[in-house]
Amino acid sequence: MNANIGIFEANYYLPATKKTLSQIFQDEEKPTEAFAADVDFEKDIGIEALHVAKNETAADLCINAAKLTMAKSGIDPKEIDLIIDFTSIPEDYVAPTWSAAGQVQKAIGATGAFATAVNTGGCASYQTTLKVACSLMSANDRYNTALLVAGDKTPEFNHNYFPITVVSDGGSAVILKKNMTNRRILGVEVATVGRLHDMWFIPGIHNRKPEDVGGKYPRWLHVCGDVQRFNKELIPINLFMFRKVMLGVLKQVGKKIQDVSFFVYPTFSAWDLKAFAAAFNVPPEKMSAAGMHHGHLQETDMVVGYVDALNTGRIKDGDLVMLATNGAGFSWGASLVQH
Amino acid sequence: MRAAVGILAACCHLPQHKRSVEDLFQEEGASFSSDIAVRLGIKQVPIGNSKASESASNMAVAAGREALQHAKIDPMQVDVVVEYSVMPQEYLVPVWNMSNKVQAEVGASKSFVVGFSGGGSSNFMVALSSTVAMLSENDSIKTALLVTGDTTIPGNRVLNPADPVTVLGDAASAVILQRDAPGGVVIDTELWSDGNNHDICYIPGGSLIHPDDISLYRMQLDKARYDAFPKSETLRRMSDKLLERVGLKFSNVVCVLCSNISSQDEAAMRQAFEDKVSPVCASNRESHGHLQGTDFPLNYLSLIESGSVKQGDYVLGVSHGMGATAAVTLFRY
Repeated sequence: MNANIGIFEANYYLPATKKTLSQIFQDEEKPTEAFAADVDFEKDIGIEALHVAKNETAADLCINAAKLTMAKSGIDPKEIDLIIDFTSIPEDYVAPTWSAAGQVQKAIGATGAFATAVNTGGCASYQTTLKVACSLMSANDRYNTALLVAGDKTPEFNHNYFPITVVSDGGSAVILKKNMTNRRILGVEVATVGRLHDMWFIPGIHNRKPEDVGGKYPRWLHVCGDVQRFNKELIPINLFMFRKVMLGVLKQVGKKIQDVSFFVYPTFSAWDLKAFAAAFNVPPEKMSAAGMHHGHLQETDMVVGYVDALNTGRIKDGDLVMLATNGAGFSWGASLVQH
Repeated sequence: MRAAVGILAACCHLPQHKRSVEDLFQEEGASFSSDIAVRLGIKQVPIGNSKASESASNMAVAAGREALQHAKIDPMQVDVVVEYSVMPQEYLVPVWNMSNKVQAEVGASKSFVVGFSGGGSSNFMVALSSTVAMLSENDSIKTALLVTGDTTIPGNRVLNPADPVTVLGDAASAVILQRDAPGGVVIDTELWSDGNNHDICYIPGGSLIHPDDISLYRMQLDKARYDAFPKSETLRRMSDKLLERVGLKFSNVVCVLCSNISSQDEAAMRQAFEDKVSPVCASNRESHGHLQGTDFPLNYLSLIESGSVKQGDYVLGVSHGMGATAAVTLFRY
């Protein structure tokens, strides 16, 4: 793969309205299942408030992030050759028939672009999309600039993703360009364990039960997690799979984990961050935990963690940055960016 | 020089049960006439039974298994599973995607999965182009399983009943792509989208804008904008651009495969592509209707079975879909 494709610009958009976690837990359904980890889900999660979009649609969140990023980059929208939507929760209209990619294309005036969407990987859709985008750019002389976008608006009363996390609304965008000498994407590794496909899903209106009609919670739009399987089948392999993709991408480019200067990791929970840091011997100053105050932002976590670390000087010239995450499906992804 | 990527095998899985177009029109309260019959050129479409065996993902698993057998590929050799369906799946995409289930059930446990949304009938070529790029640019990815399963929404098989555009059937298909495959080489793909028409065809109900309105859980088409979108002209322009890029002319192309939307749509394609549209498209359209992502694999298989192409012949696949998108792929048989 062409090693000169890099992150030209990245940014995110969060709606201004915030809701405290105590208010979220008060408003939403109380989970009844037992959680294997020895923690208090509500008290120990490490997130205090969430961003909640009011009138903005999911596509608005996508478009706002795209516009912010385009403005920051100074790139003419007509230069964009490829737009890939990597949103990982339901959008304004039903997928896979529709995606927000075309609406973003229209909104930013990227008239020369081809717009599509990657709909796999859950929160790891960032890595899956990087893999697709870098491959398309590397293989085709006509794709020089790509815009990756995501916009997540959580269905009402579904911010509590027990037992994993609590989620904010927001959008993010990343501009990839060829012939970069800095922020080069050295490699991307993705792995999938498909047997876990039905452990975390949203039923959809076609699976709506009569008793759900007219209720407070639109359950057919809420995530359903099998907590027992989560405890028995996912948790035991999670760190193994992280190790697999991280070592896989390091091997691709001939680097060692000791060469990594900074890790961007999702903000699921304080205990999850701690487990990852302990497993891979990563000190707090080398991790993107500062993003916890935004809450978990699905696939956008990768962009938030990366942008915040850049803005606060935690990523410096010469640093090798590892972005690693997992997501529904289940997939795990890791990418390496050379600064 | 980049390694060539080609089709090792393709398979379609179609439900046994078929419904006549007249029946479906009657069931959906749409008027059927001889004029509409001629304009559509569709007699019947396959419709899956309501049993789980003919769910979209189970049909996709069956197609995937069959394609792997035809290609003589051990599932453990599959490096990536790529999904290109158009219709809603068992659970809501993108949180759930059938590619994960397909990966597990065909036993491709060393692979990772990718799925694509929003391109309608062009989704297959979006998936094809992306997969070819992954195979040619990543040493660790050599073999791909592309797969789809589409089941229509009951009561919503006649698209735009007031002025019908097509009749949708249920189907699944799978294609095995491999780096350095001996035939069916994918030379190049040209993709195009017009975001102004992102909502020309979509399902408005059941997601965030109309979360609980089941009456809007139907594929809707803005017919005026659909008609105004210059489909065949766009596809011909894209084909000429692609052919020029690879140093060929349209005269080098032996035949063209288009989607099985309607005889009216095909007539426009015939005109734009100088009568090179293969007769297999009309035949499959008549007997199966529009099978969305499966149209191309079905027509490709029929073309090979017809014996009308020989080794080295160039074949163009052209498609337009939601988004609005258009896609052209050049193959060398």
